[in-house]
Order: sequence, then structure tokens, then C-alpha cells
Amino acid sequence: MSNSATAMLVSAAIDFLRAYPPFDRMEAEALRFLAEHVKLAHYPKGARILASEMGVARTLHVLQRGKVRSKPGGSASVEHSAVTLGPGQCFSISALMAQQPSSTVYVARDDVFCYDLPADDFFSLTQKSTVFNLFCTQHIAGLLNQSQQQLQLQLAQRAGEQKTMNSPLGAIIKRQPVAVGPETSIRQVVELMAARHLGSMIVVDAGQQPIGIFTLSDVLKRIVLPGASLDQPIASVMSPAPLTLPLAANAHDAALAMAMHAVRHVLAVDEGGCLQGVVSERDLFKLQGAGLRQIRHAIDSAASIEVLQHARNDVRQLSLTMLAEGVGGQEMTQFISTLNDTVTRRVIELNLDRHDLYGIDWAWLSFGSEGRDEQTFTTDQDNGIVYLLTDIMDREQTQLRFLEFARDVNDDLDKCGFPLCKGNIMASNPELCLTLEEWDERFACWVREPEPQALLNATIFFDFRPLYGKFNLAHRLRLSLFRQAQGNPLFLRMLAQNALSVAPPLGRIRDFVTDADPEHPGTIDLKKYGVRLFTDAARVFALARQVEATNTVSRLKRAGGLMHIRPDDLAASIEGFNFLQLLRLRHQHFEQEHGRPGDNLVKPDELNEIERRVLKEAFRQARKLQARLKLDYQL
Amino acid sequence: MAWYSRLLAGQERFIGELSSSQQRLLADWNELPPADLKRSHYRSRYVVVDVETTAVNAKADRLVSIGALAVVDGLIDFKDAFYVSLANDRVNAAASPFFVDRPEASLAPADAMLAFLRFSGKSPWVAYHALFAGKIVAGTMAKDLGIELRQPWIDLAWVMSDLFRDISDDAQWCLDAWLDHFAIESIQRHHVVSDAFVTAKLLQITIARATRKGFETPNSFLELAKARRHMHQSG
Repeated sequence: MSNSATAMLVSAAIDFLRAYPPFDRMEAEALRFLAEHVKLAHYPKGARILASEMGVARTLHVLQRGKVRSKPGGSASVEHSAVTLGPGQCFSISALMAQQPSSTVYVARDDVFCYDLPADDFFSLTQKSTVFNLFCTQHIAGLLNQSQQQLQLQLAQRAGEQKTMNSPLGAIIKRQPVAVGPETSIRQVVELMAARHLGSMIVVDAGQQPIGIFTLSDVLKRIVLPGASLDQPIASVMSPAPLTLPLAANAHDAALAMAMHAVRHVLAVDEGGCLQGVVSERDLFKLQGAGLRQIRHAIDSAASIEVLQHARNDVRQLSLTMLAEGVGGQEMTQFISTLNDTVTRRVIELNLDRHDLYGIDWAWLSFGSEGRDEQTFTTDQDNGIVYLLTDIMDREQTQLRFLEFARDVNDDLDKCGFPLCKGNIMASNPELCLTLEEWDERFACWVREPEPQALLNATIFFDFRPLYGKFNLAHRLRLSLFRQAQGNPLFLRMLAQNALSVAPPLGRIRDFVTDADPEHPGTIDLKKYGVRLFTDAARVFALARQVEATNTVSRLKRAGGLMHIRPDDLAASIEGFNFLQLLRLRHQHFEQEHGRPGDNLVKPDELNEIERRVLKEAFRQARKLQARLKLDYQL
Repeated sequence: MAWYSRLLAGQERFIGELSSSQQRLLADWNELPPADLKRSHYRSRYVVVDVETTAVNAKADRLVSIGALAVVDGLIDFKDAFYVSLANDRVNAAASPFFVDRPEASLAPADAMLAFLRFSGKSPWVAYHALFAGKIVAGTMAKDLGIELRQPWIDLAWVMSDLFRDISDDAQWCLDAWLDHFAIESIQRHHVVSDAFVTAKLLQITIARATRKGFETPNSFLELAKARRHMHQSG
């Protein structure tokens, strides 16, 4: 279809495009393809060029002339997030790539001309041009980054309240300093301190420069004991030349200064030396609570349940901070599990002081998500006890001792923020406080006769993990479980079938199936229809390949390797799983912030374009794992 | 076939013979159904035309080249564009600074006009100052093909001076004034393809304005231009 008129118009389009990235770097042939396949469209001022109500994006727009305003759609859109696009800029690559409606609204700000490229030609172009392909991929990556940054921004406020030892004094000072002149009487000062609950009073000169400090402990030593008159000026009893630091100094500096001069207060002054605030040793002490090491230390050395309760709050705070810092889903759940383990171990240790279990081999087991190291913000107890019964011991009595012990531990855990399990999956349940042989027999029974309840039990209890005591008991239990599973191929087949009972909520027409739960239309339960698909598949993989790990990611990695799943595919599955976990954590955090119990019901419509796309991909990964199960077990 | 051998009053007589393939092309064009001028602009095909002539006097003028672009469903598709220069005016054409001596683009007048008809189909023609372009195209058609055209021409000069009264209601405004106002860049001003291209962009802008004002079809453009010209002449 070459004619000289077309040649002239195409070469003019090429000349235009070549002035802007990524077209300036684009291969000549690809650029020609682009210029030949675009159509020039005009949009009058105020026209909506692209918006979600227009359905799936079908066109790439390259702005040729005029200005286009883009702003996030939906009711939650913020004015300042609007961006103005100029000539040479493209939209909307992400909606096109995702083959979804654009969640951003694009409106012409004046007479706008765009080179419009149909979606099919857009995809051809991404295949023809590595430069363009890279540009689109980076564009998507950039958006992912933005969405991550947005999340971090949301959480940063929360985390901002968590000041660290690196914070400048200006950020630590909480209130206006209260100061008096040197002529003020002791009586007035002490009255003021009592009325305002002050630990110290600063004495300043006429220029607001601190010249002394008077603290509560001085009242005893310098006034009460010597019997000083309350009518004397404060200057006669104050400590002169108080320690000052500039506002910009940080908490570390203040701590150091206090240690060096053996004082409990540091005055923060501005550049002119004027008093701006008081930092006490107590203020600094509070700051130190923040770090992971400190929390672990606090938990490990906690002498009472009360201290552990505080530690649990710190764990929550710290995990929020980590979420804000962009820590991934896997790291987060593992971190929460690890600290929860630490708390649990300390609770057990504290209770061992009151319960004599000396001379018995036993271990505390955790099940379910805790067993898998995958706890989120909302988690209840799932635990049990395994012990060895020797000939000289009475079974009934031994179990009674363990049950009493377990009841105390369960109650204390409840006080520490791990609610009692509604399904009574707790060590204090006689059914779950068993000898190694009894556990063995129970497991064997479920494996031999995989009826529905047995399969359900398998999904909870087969993810056991020892938390305290003799870990080798758990190891022995696991080995015999493997033996049982190998000897009963029907069991694994049934377990695989059970794992396939829930399909990923991907729609044929729409992106997602959001009406699975009639009580919560428009939502997807990310646990039931998301995470569980991965954990169920990974469990079958692990049991079939005798992989000891209980953590889903570890199971996928280790069993996947034995199953010769390609590392790329494996990494993609793990990424999908981690993304679902991160979404859950975010959602739970959001819900709890707003005083609601954290559930797992996420509305896909409220996610941004990129998140929806990644979510879709995560579900596709779940489908892939399920396909593998179908293949392996001929289901 | 009487319709193309008839004499045309006041015009040059058609004296040539059309070859059978030329006759077939002409017949093909003639059998095309007329365009539905009552469909929306955004469901119509316009052919925007610019012509180059030997001089400015329409009576003595000869056509040198034609540039044309289709605006289909409101969009300009570069593949749907046309250029031809007429071989009998080779001397004159070569004198034009924009003459490109391309064998595929330079045709005998009859073939050139047939190619133009084939490109246009029965789509309404649009030109800025269409009276001039229409006369010269009709004259060449009569002389070299022996046909009298009844194809509608839409004069963008009249249409724009009505729809953009707030900017200028002067139908004699030159094209450059509009291009300046809307800051439309030419590729190569006065080249017929480039001029047809900028006119096509003006048509796009005009279509958007017209649609807002309730003039939604090619037919409404024709009536608008007719009424305006009538008013202008009587007033």
C-alpha cells in the first residue's frame, strides 16, 4: 500500500516521534511500523479520551499535540495526584498490557491530537521492538514501584510515630518547655511543677537562655533536708549551667551526654541558644523499645506475662514499620511467626517454673499457619503436645500433668494476644496432648482412611512444627508420616483432590469471580480462594516427595526442585503466593486500623491497575500448581 | 454510453477515446452507491482534497496535481491518502517547486482522474475554498473523462466561518489564518498532500465543534455552507 502521499505523511510522523523517548531509540523498522499503523485522532477540549467506563483499553495514545490531564479514577481520587501529559507521551500502557479498563481518567485540556495505535498493533510492536518492549516493562515496573511507594506513604505516618535513636531532638520533644526567671521563688516553682506534673523546671534569663535546672530530686536534697526557705529565689537552689544540645542533635547524642555528665535531663536549644525543649532520660528509654533486637531481648528476658503482653504490642508496631519499609510478604509472615514463636517459648518457659515436667521427653507443636511459619496479623492458637511414655510412667497421670501445664500456657498465650482457638485445636485438649505412639496412630488412621474429616485434619496437623522441647520427637513423627503416606497412594490422591476442590477465582469474562460469598459481594477471600490454593498444593508436593519443610515457600522450592519444575516457574509461583500474603497483611492492617477485625476479604475493584494485574497473575500461578496436581494424580 | 460522450456547454469538449479498461474503471465508480450523507461524522468517510494548478485563474487553469486524505470515522489514516500529478502538464508541473517526478504518481490526465475517483469513491469531498477546487476538478473530469460530476463538495471555509464565528466569521479568511489560530503545523506548506493533511486536521476540529452544536452529519455541513453562502450573497 505504498504511495507517495502515505510515504510523506508517515515520514512526517516518524520525524515527530523520533524527538521523544522511547521512539528516539527505537529500531528504524519498528518506528516505521508504528508510524504506518497509527491513526491521527482529534479530541476537543474537555473530551474524555480514556476512562474505565470505556471498557478494556483498545488503543495506545501517543500525544501529538496539546495537553492531557490524567488522574486516578474512582471516588478516592485526589486532586494533587493529577498529572499533565504533553506531546510525545503515551497512555495507557499499563491498561493495554493488562487488557483491562484504565483506572486512570485521561481528559483533553485543549485541542488534542493523538496518534492512536490499535491494541493488536501495539502488541505486535512490543514484539518487533526490544526498545519499546523494555520501555513498556519498565513503565509497568515504575508503576509497581509507585504503588509500593503509596503503600509506604500510607504506613509511614504510622511508622513515623515510632521514633528511633537516630531521631533529632526536635522530633522527640513533645511539649513546650516550661521555664521561669531566676528571681521566681522556690514555692512558686514547686507549685508549678506539682500543678503541671513536671519532673524538672528550667531557669532562663531575660533572653530565654537556660541558666539552670531544678528537678524533683533536688526538692528532697536541697530544700526539704536542709530546711531551706520556700521564699528564696530558685536561683539559689538550682543546678547552674545545665547541659544543652542543639535541636539537630539526635537521641544518641543526648544519651551519650547524659552518661558522660551523669545527668538525667538535656536541654535542647536553637541556634541562638534559646530553650526549645527538655529531653529526659525517660524519653530516651522509651525510644529504645523499637528495634527487633530489643524486642527479642525483652521477650527472652521477660519475667512475667505482663511484660510479654507489652512485647506483643511492640511486635505489632515493628511489623507495621516493616510493612511500611516495603518488606515482602514472605519476610513479613516469617518475621511475625518468629517473634510469635519467641513469645510462645517464653510463655512456656515461664510456666515450666510452675509445672514439673522434669525427666519426660516432650515437645510443644504448632499447627496450621503457625506450623507453616505463615502467620498474619490475625492469628489464633493452633498447638499440641507430643511426649514419650516410658514403662515406669502412668499414662493417665502423665497426660494429666501435661494438660494442666498446657491449660496454663494456652491461657497465658491468650493474654498475650493469641486468642484461644474456637475449634479447640490446643494442647490443653486431651485429643491433642498425646504420646508419640498415639500421634503416630492418629496420623496413620487419617492416611489409611482419607474420609473428608481426615483430609481436613491432614491440612491442619500435617503442617506441624516443634516449637519447644525435644525437636527430635517431631522429626520421628514426620518420618513415620512419610512412611504412611508412601504406603497409601490413595491418600495422596485424595489429598490432591481435596486441594483441587477450590478453583482460583478467575472469571471467564470478567477478571475475577467476586461473588463466591453472597454475604460479601464484590470481594475475594484471599485466604480461602488464594493462599490456601498454594499451601494445599505445596503440602501434597511435600508429602509425596518426603520434604520435611512445612513452610509453603520452602516446600515449593524443595519439592519443586525434586519434581523438575523449572526454576522460573517455581519463582513465579512463589512470587504469586507472596503477593497474596502481602495483600492480606495490608488489608488486615487497614481493617484493624479502622477498628474492624482483620478479615481476608479484598475488593479487587479497589486495587490499582497493577495490583489487579499481579493479583490475576498470582491466581494464574495457583491454577498452574493445580494443573500439576491434576497431571500427577490423573484427576 | 451517452452519459460520458455528451457535450458540455461552455467547457472544453471531450474529444478523446477511453480505453476499455478506463471505461470499466469509470463504470465501476459510477455503479458505487452514493454515500449516505445522513450518518454521523464519526460513521462517515470524507475525502479532503487540495489541488495545485498552473495559475490562479480558474477559467484558464489546468490541474497539476491532487493531494487527498480520507477522514474515516473521525480519524486520519495515513494509508488512506492519495497523490497524483498530471502528466500532460509535465512542463508546468516540473516548474512547481514541489514537483516530484515519480513515475507511479505521474499519470496521464484521464488515468489520474480515474485514480482520484477510485480513491474517493462516492465519499463527499471537502476542501478549503471548495469552489475553486471543485471547478478545476470538474473541468478536468469533463475534458479528460467526458463526465459531469454531481459529487457534493463541502466548503470548509464556509462551514468554519459559521461554526467558529467567535473566532472569525469571514469566509474569505485564508487557510493560514485558521492554521495559525489552531497552531496546526504543516509538513511542507503548499504541497498538496501537506495542505490536504492540515485541512483534514481542521476538518477534525470542525467535526468536534459541529457535533457539540448539533450538526452531526455531512449533510448538515452541506446545508450549513449553502445557507451561509446564500445569506452572505443576499446580505
